[in-house]
Amino acid sequence: MSSALSVPSVRARRTEPAVRFRRALGYLAMLLAALAFLYPIYWMVTSSLKPGVSILDDPLGFNPAQATLRNWTGMFANVPIVHAFINTLIVVVVKGGVLMVFSPLAGYGFAKFDFPFKNFLFGFVLLTLMLPTLVLIVPLLLEMSQIGWINSYQALILPGAVDAFSVFWMRQTIEQIPDELIDAARIDGAGPLRVFRSICVPVLRPALAALAVLSLFNIYNDLVWPIVAVNDQRHETLAILLASLTSNVSGAQGSTSSADLWGQLMAACTFATIPTILLFVFLQRHFIRGLLAGSSR
Amino acid sequence: MTENELPPRGLSRRGALQLLGFAGLGTAAISALSACAPGGSSGNTKALSAVPSSTAAKGEATLWFNDDDLLKVFKTVVPSFNAKYPQVKLNLVGVDIGTKLAPTLISGTGVPDGSFAADGAVGAQAAELYDLTSLMKPYVADTVQYKLDVNTVGGKLVGIPWDTDPGLFFYREDILSAAGVDPAQLTSYDALLDAARAVKGKNPNARPIPLEQDPNLGMQWLMMLVSQQQGSGLVDAQGNLTIDTDAYRNALTWIKKVADENLGARCKFASTAQIALADNGTISIVPWAIWFNFLVQTALTKSSGKWRVSQLPAWKSGGARSGVMGGSSFIIPAKAAQPQLAWLFYEHAIYSPEGIKQVFGPNTVYPNGLNTALPSVKSALSGPSLFNALPQLGKTSLWDVAAQASLGIPAGYHVPTWFNQAANYLGANLQLLMDGKMSVDDVIKQSVSGIKTNLVQRA
Amino acid sequence: MSLLEWNTSAPRTGEPARGTRPPASRSARTRRRLPRDWWWGYLFIAPFFVIFAAFSAYPMIYALELSFSDWHGAGRLHWVGFGNYTYLLTNPQFWSSLGNSGVMWVLIVPLQTVLAVAAASLLTRARLRFTKSLRTIVIIPYVTPLAAMAQAFILIFDKNFGVLNAILRFFGLPAVGWLTTTSWAKPSIALFILWKTSGFALIIMLAAVQSIPEHLYEAAALDGAGAPRMFWSITVPMVRRHIGFFLVISTLGISQMFLEPYVLTQGGPYNSTTTSGLYLYQHIQNSDLGTGAANSFLLVVLVFLLSLIAVRVLRSKEEQ
Repeated sequence: MSSALSVPSVRARRTEPAVRFRRALGYLAMLLAALAFLYPIYWMVTSSLKPGVSILDDPLGFNPAQATLRNWTGMFANVPIVHAFINTLIVVVVKGGVLMVFSPLAGYGFAKFDFPFKNFLFGFVLLTLMLPTLVLIVPLLLEMSQIGWINSYQALILPGAVDAFSVFWMRQTIEQIPDELIDAARIDGAGPLRVFRSICVPVLRPALAALAVLSLFNIYNDLVWPIVAVNDQRHETLAILLASLTSNVSGAQGSTSSADLWGQLMAACTFATIPTILLFVFLQRHFIRGLLAGSSR
Repeated sequence: MTENELPPRGLSRRGALQLLGFAGLGTAAISALSACAPGGSSGNTKALSAVPSSTAAKGEATLWFNDDDLLKVFKTVVPSFNAKYPQVKLNLVGVDIGTKLAPTLISGTGVPDGSFAADGAVGAQAAELYDLTSLMKPYVADTVQYKLDVNTVGGKLVGIPWDTDPGLFFYREDILSAAGVDPAQLTSYDALLDAARAVKGKNPNARPIPLEQDPNLGMQWLMMLVSQQQGSGLVDAQGNLTIDTDAYRNALTWIKKVADENLGARCKFASTAQIALADNGTISIVPWAIWFNFLVQTALTKSSGKWRVSQLPAWKSGGARSGVMGGSSFIIPAKAAQPQLAWLFYEHAIYSPEGIKQVFGPNTVYPNGLNTALPSVKSALSGPSLFNALPQLGKTSLWDVAAQASLGIPAGYHVPTWFNQAANYLGANLQLLMDGKMSVDDVIKQSVSGIKTNLVQRA
Repeated sequence: MSLLEWNTSAPRTGEPARGTRPPASRSARTRRRLPRDWWWGYLFIAPFFVIFAAFSAYPMIYALELSFSDWHGAGRLHWVGFGNYTYLLTNPQFWSSLGNSGVMWVLIVPLQTVLAVAAASLLTRARLRFTKSLRTIVIIPYVTPLAAMAQAFILIFDKNFGVLNAILRFFGLPAVGWLTTTSWAKPSIALFILWKTSGFALIIMLAAVQSIPEHLYEAAALDGAGAPRMFWSITVPMVRRHIGFFLVISTLGISQMFLEPYVLTQGGPYNSTTTSGLYLYQHIQNSDLGTGAANSFLLVVLVFLLSLIAVRVLRSKEEQ
């Protein structure tokens, strides 16, 4: 609103209604967007608070007077969701850490060095980016069972810990850095690692922040591979747990407790969503600072 | 598309079925994997025979169930099992079988000693399972034949039949009698058609017969209509396609009449729409699997007590009055550590009168009995009712009707490994037929060629 | 592969660069390299490459091998040459799955790209309040579990009881079978995907827009440029590279997408939402691993060709 208080020139006063109108339009658009984006989530959260039967009976309505925590208590009693959450945390932290360190390094190597077979190797990386991951599941499973990694954290962490997408992205961003900048640092006697740290990382900060957020969410919600790689509860991640809860619900077609299962599934989904939202809101400051750090250059 | 003008209330179970697909997502990679074990082929199935006596049986076994009510039901059987075999410790575990069983069988890590399995899934996994032919010998004569056919792969019995899901005829007694239809006379599909016409004559808005909108379920429904004529589904015992046959032609022609005369309601099973339509009398004539009973018991609240059940009509007089629509069995993985113990438990739960009564009869999980399925053990089916009478069905005996139907399911039913994939051809074409966009001959011709080139020849 | 250089300002060499180009021709390039310590390049990519080779490249080569066989997961592997490829290329279903994916692309990608760039610059530059909250709100769907959200959308799209038709009814419009009619099923799935993935697009575009130097806008403001002109003459050109990147990524995403149509429509009605990813999934579900692998590599070739065309178009634009 600071512009409304700006110098009261004749011209400003004349455009004021137009500005106001535009602004109102902007807020209206934002409000509508917010409603559209939030409604399904509102549905998920309220469903987790409804008595199971009314999820089926009255799927869209919500009566706050009938709100109950039964689904939540039932969910915590029925499924080891906290354990699964801890597993997910382990995977997210280690896998994300590996990805956040190795991808920019590789991106730098591909962007700013010339070495034999470079284009061939990078082409190979791009090829896996274009290849549907679905087709790799069977070969990977056979590989894992050969080296005895089924039901292990390694199996959850290493495949996909470095992905073509992030290396591609990092290379794209690092290529933007002028060679002159790097050469200047080199002339000052900095080694390649130092150049990477002092020249590339600052420029990369916005992209790194975005990569951190994206890969965190991706790893958190990764589904198809973990389901195949793990069949014991000790290594079960949140995504696996949600998938099996979902199939329980559909498997329980003919059973009387399906309503309860619905409620518990919604509670579990809400539970799984809360940490990511909190984390994002918390990270947002860092995320934005990272972005701004880039723009100041 | 149907134009259903309904008050916005209702119960959505449709989502559950949609998500059935989602559950299959793990199956994404996996049903594929089912046969994936290196070197496996149906040639080298291991046979399981010698079983320890009750006192010698000792050890610990892990059995997989889906993490649902059935798991709870089977847990109630464990005490009576342990009374017989005191030194056996059983761990009944709830697992997402559809997604976990196949990769587990392949990787060979964490393999259970026995597992629940849907009937269609057993065939593809045969190479990974014990051949139970000799163990099952004493019980074969007491088992419904079609279940044995379903579980037989390459001449070997690889599954222990558990339940039958016969097709039954559910109807609204009030609506039929108002239209002057005597349900007892509905013994042929032509009579059923006439009844539907009569109901529509009384109420022009009525569309008495549900026409399934989900391609997969729709195809299963067609299988039910077909299997009661010829005892085979998509293929015969040799694996040859049986789609271009009179049985299909009859069933499809009948469905087309229902669609053309506007006697059918297009909706998905257990959807909000179907429940509302069944409750308000638009749907009143329902030839469907026994598990329609689930809706009758829990979802159809407004029309509760007005539903009745009888056997399906027959295609020709004296013909079979029941078909197949679903079912499941138990398997014992070839890599199981304690296959004998698993067998002892299944034997106790299925083939002892005590066990079967605990599973199907009223229990803590199902106060009226497990009345959305029936056993596949003949002696139990011919025995006294294990279910309580349901007020929702006007206290008529579901057991008597359904048990007779189970016993009457024709033998010779086979489930090809690509059964679910066939929904992309036969299922989709059936949808077009139900929407008036394809003729009977085209459904048959195009389904045959699609399934042949894309499934049979590539299987 | 090196044709996928997104560095659109790179000089054109007239012929595709080869990976194993001899050093002599390499020095002909305008970009100065650091020839003395070229082996540092290997050191930088080594940690990544070891994991990549073991868990991406190896399975990929395995899959490539499978694409020339009729392996169903058990027994011996029989070579069928290009049999799987010719089967697919002569199969109308394969082409219609590509067509379905093409339609999904048209419905999703252009709209999402434009909206993401516009929203990113709006959230960065417009002096409106609540922009931070809105950004969070848009990103939240990206982190929600697909299972619950698909369920919510099935209800939203429900013909009789859904929210969308309730809105239509409010305006006196007839109800629409969102997921059950061939004409609406694709747009409905597209809507779900737009809802679910716009956060992803926004994050990428925010990273791009926020790294545009502020002084460019200040200079333009001094010249009296309005917001729309700044958007077209500064924002869009400055983020073109990121738009290119996002287009590639989302095109890849669409070509591989299978979960969304699977949970919402199972590919129906009448296979009209069987996308290329879902069709591929069906092979794998049918244990037909060879055909599945062949299908995957055909998608790779297709996406690669599309990328080539895109690069050419971008470059020729730039040279004008």
